[in-house]
Amino acid sequence: MIISEQWLRDWVRVDLNAQEIADHLTNAGLEVDGVEVVAGPIDKLVVGKVLTVEKHPDADRLNCTTVDIGTEVLNIVCGAANVRQDLMVAVATIGAKLPNGLKIKKAKVRGVESIGMLCSASELGLEENSAGLIELDADAEIGQRVDEYLALDDRLIDIDLTPNRGDCLSVQGIAREMKVLADGSYHPLDIQPIESTIDDTIEVDLDDSVNCPRYLGRVIKGISQDATTPLWMQERLRRSGVRPISPVVDITNYVMIELGQPMHAFDLAKLNEKIVIRQSTAGEKITLLDETEATLDGETLVIADSKAPIAIAGVMGGLDSSIDDSTTNIVLEAAHFSRKSASGKARRYGLHTDSSFRFERGVDPQLPPQAIERATELVLEICGGDAGPVVEQANQNGLNSKPAVEIRLNRLVSLLGMPLDEAEVGDILNRIADSVVGENGVWQFTPPSYRFDIEREADLVEEVARVKGYDNIPTALPRIAPRSIAASEDRISARQVRQAFVARDYREAITYSFIDPSVHQSFSDEAPVELANPLADNMAVMRTSLLPGLMGALQFNANRQHDRIRFFEIGASYHKDGNVFQEQQRLAGVVIGAAQATQWGIAKSQKVDFFDIKADLEAVLALTGHKTPIIFNEFEHIALHPGQCSSLIRQEADGNQITIGYLGRLHPSLEKQYGVDNVYAFEINLDVALNAHLPAFEVMSRFPSIKRDLSVLISEDLAVAKVLDSLRDELGEALVKVELFDVYRGQGVADGSKSISLSLVLQHRDRTMTDEDATSLMGDALSLLETKWSATLRS
Amino acid sequence: MTDSLDSNLRNILQQAKDAIAASEKPAQLEELRVNYLGKKGELTNQLKQIGSLPHEERPKFGDKVNAVKQEVAQLLNHKKAELDAIVLAAALAAEKIDVTLPGRGISTGGIHPVTRTMQRIEDIFVAMGFGIATGPEIEDDFHNFEALNIPPEHPARAMHDTFYVKTESGDVAVEDGSEGSHLLRTHTSPVQARYMLSEKPPINIIAPGRVYRCDSDVTHTPMFHQVEGLMVDEGISFADLKGVLTHFLQQFFETELKIRLRPSYFPFTEPSAEVDISCVFCADDHGEPQGCRICKHTGWIEVLGSGMVHPEVFKHVGIDSEKYTGFAFGLGVERLTMLRYGVTDLRLFFDNDLTFLEQFK
Repeated sequence: MIISEQWLRDWVRVDLNAQEIADHLTNAGLEVDGVEVVAGPIDKLVVGKVLTVEKHPDADRLNCTTVDIGTEVLNIVCGAANVRQDLMVAVATIGAKLPNGLKIKKAKVRGVESIGMLCSASELGLEENSAGLIELDADAEIGQRVDEYLALDDRLIDIDLTPNRGDCLSVQGIAREMKVLADGSYHPLDIQPIESTIDDTIEVDLDDSVNCPRYLGRVIKGISQDATTPLWMQERLRRSGVRPISPVVDITNYVMIELGQPMHAFDLAKLNEKIVIRQSTAGEKITLLDETEATLDGETLVIADSKAPIAIAGVMGGLDSSIDDSTTNIVLEAAHFSRKSASGKARRYGLHTDSSFRFERGVDPQLPPQAIERATELVLEICGGDAGPVVEQANQNGLNSKPAVEIRLNRLVSLLGMPLDEAEVGDILNRIADSVVGENGVWQFTPPSYRFDIEREADLVEEVARVKGYDNIPTALPRIAPRSIAASEDRISARQVRQAFVARDYREAITYSFIDPSVHQSFSDEAPVELANPLADNMAVMRTSLLPGLMGALQFNANRQHDRIRFFEIGASYHKDGNVFQEQQRLAGVVIGAAQATQWGIAKSQKVDFFDIKADLEAVLALTGHKTPIIFNEFEHIALHPGQCSSLIRQEADGNQITIGYLGRLHPSLEKQYGVDNVYAFEINLDVALNAHLPAFEVMSRFPSIKRDLSVLISEDLAVAKVLDSLRDELGEALVKVELFDVYRGQGVADGSKSISLSLVLQHRDRTMTDEDATSLMGDALSLLETKWSATLRS
Repeated sequence: MTDSLDSNLRNILQQAKDAIAASEKPAQLEELRVNYLGKKGELTNQLKQIGSLPHEERPKFGDKVNAVKQEVAQLLNHKKAELDAIVLAAALAAEKIDVTLPGRGISTGGIHPVTRTMQRIEDIFVAMGFGIATGPEIEDDFHNFEALNIPPEHPARAMHDTFYVKTESGDVAVEDGSEGSHLLRTHTSPVQARYMLSEKPPINIIAPGRVYRCDSDVTHTPMFHQVEGLMVDEGISFADLKGVLTHFLQQFFETELKIRLRPSYFPFTEPSAEVDISCVFCADDHGEPQGCRICKHTGWIEVLGSGMVHPEVFKHVGIDSEKYTGFAFGLGVERLTMLRYGVTDLRLFFDNDLTFLEQFK
């Protein structure tokens, strides 16, 4: 809400400048976004009256005028189209300096002398663009300073109000707040009932007095069609961010900004019989002031006449009943719509108006009688006409004052953690509300009708704290009860995993949790969780895998001249089972480019392959301390190369095997889509993968070991892991370690075969491994390989 | 006779001296050692001639020969050491490397700056004794709103720009906040509600995680990270909230900055406070902000929201608000990251541009 400093000062007198007022408001929770000067004082700018207008002899668009500024009559050349005889204008005389920097000097315009300039609103800094001269009111005093007349020495205070403070959405509201905060003297308007001069009324049927506890209507007849909104009112509206439209509309807006009561005016001639306040029926249609048509649901409060809705209550009026240039008789409306009836309606119909904004936050139910009198006063003053009596329909139950709230001094002290003086607290409470009674540190506080945010003691604690000033609350450190916060050794932490990947030259990415449905389909055949209101089509489903996001990041960088990319991400994947949603903590990675960064002393670096990434995963997962290494088995995944894809399986101590993830090369068709080549990807379910094995000490063998190598030829199709597993089974405890140190194909090895070279470390727990023992064990090993796998010893 | 032997001896010594001096390789020295000092060497030969001398001269001559032997041996040793040193020096010179050549092997990657900040936040609070709690990102309406005193159609919901999740019935998008509707959590505050429903005071936790708002522009991304904090016990006061946040913010920014609390509004806290820090970008040597673009010349930067847990929230989770009080706060991880490292564009965090990420080790 933007409020004019000058306007505010009409309501409350405080010995503070605009910035200090802003600071008070900010420190009290009404955050001021900025204080902006309107124009500041302008010397030598005076009110003038155009006496004569003649065409410039040498220029079609220019006029030569004579202008009376009281002390003298000036000859001024003017190019504005709206200049005319008797117009009251703002005259910048010689020496005046305008807000845009222009300094007025004596000038000759196409040969005619011009002593000064007639100004537009934009030249005075009042609006961005102006079509012509600013037209001052006919009763402006010739010779008066224009900055005084237009109150140009004004500042606009932009306040960002929180939704609980609907009571501050008016000049009156902010003034009340300043009274409380700065103990200023408060000068509310003295609003007197306007005596009716005609008997005309409109019938009001209050069908729904729960959602509309109060409805006031008043007929005013015979308003002038020639009336214009006085400049001072236009200016105040403009400075409050409201565009002046026509006198009656401007008056209802003005009263809303001044008092906080949204109002509406109907054209009496366009109404059928009466006004009915009722719920809409589903499918009813109304064309609104903004010329859009709304189809109503069955639970919207509307103002209707005997035939059709004429307004969505508290949101926007209808076009068909609106006042226009030919309107002479009007109905003014000032009603109280409950917060409940207003809330959500603006959003439902996409109609966020000043009125709906206020009703959603709560409008003082005591305001309508004042507002309708104030608006009547202004209509009669500006547009003339005769007012009928006010018709009021009300439901007193909906208007009852709020129950008193108890506040205890000791609660205040303990909740704020500061000592407080009983008298001071009493004073603060009394500044906020009139009806406060209390003794012995307990007060009964009846909230003012406009304060919807005070319902319980905690609310009053905040009131006292903010008037006292949060700055005055001391700083303390609580005693914190020790928690069992140490992580269990049952699991390694995601942080350890991150560090391990960083140490292996991976970089962490964070990608969006929602992805493009079509991309999702390339990576998963699972039905994803869908968003009902995605921000964009390509952010419409929740990821079931982290790979689509990571591939996006990889592509982004590949397109920017990065050829070696190693990304990992840790985050949730989202799944559903009917209407039950599940999340899984995952780790995924994508890698492209050379296995090692290009560097000297290494033959041109190989492209990364399956086994580079496998080593990374084995190393990181080894941190869990499990005794058996991760098992890699052939696997199928729609996004991965069918011949280069593996599952990761953890064998638990009890022999159970759990699939924890997969690794493979991106499917060539996907690589093509992304325009990249040779990408490896992996994804692991951290919920299970991080389960760790608690180390358990075993006595080490003190006896020497023997190392023997063995090279055999085996079938190309035989998985090496099977060979190694069978050796472990056969040799048992004596085989401390077996390492594969070469795989060879080529000269000396027949097609369909491969040579594998193994290094075996043999050791006994209880005695020295002798040469004879070792030779015997190696014999066992070889005969196993020969019989079980048809292996032959490679000479 | 003695004279001729003496002169012989002198000649041999002189020859040996000359030969040793002229030697260039250790092998030559070894040859000379054999020639002069070996079993058949010249000096040994001289000694053999001792029999031709009269008895009384023999010892004297023997001494002379031995003296020469010793001198030659010494010369040989000296020269050997000299030549060895030269050989070693040459070998060392040949093995010299350019130590400025780049090291070889794998480099290190890096964690994302948001993770970095998240970890620092966690470390500071854990050191203070806080535990870490988590909750689901696909939340239900109750935990995200209702339990936090944000009933359906509360104006605060409009500020939340909520993403809703489609339910099984398909086209029925439950967006009206009706019971049972699911959404992407708009803040980490639902973890508060979940934690208080399952645990009893004393409670002191933080809850870090991803949150979502249906909003995207220069200063908003539809996904970002928050850390929620919650402390509930008997006698917890607003002054404690101030103390904990002051400690955290001073630790995080590693400077004795000032904090300012301003009244604000969150449905789940009362009193509520917006927390500002004195601007760290334009502070002088005494920590006094001088005013700059980042603090909009106010000297203050808004960093988080906080307040005392609302009695209505306690009611929803079954905690006696007369006995227990507590505070809660929520901070934006991206915002703190930007302030800490001077990042000027929020959107950079989710572009995953390596050129950006590589600035954070």
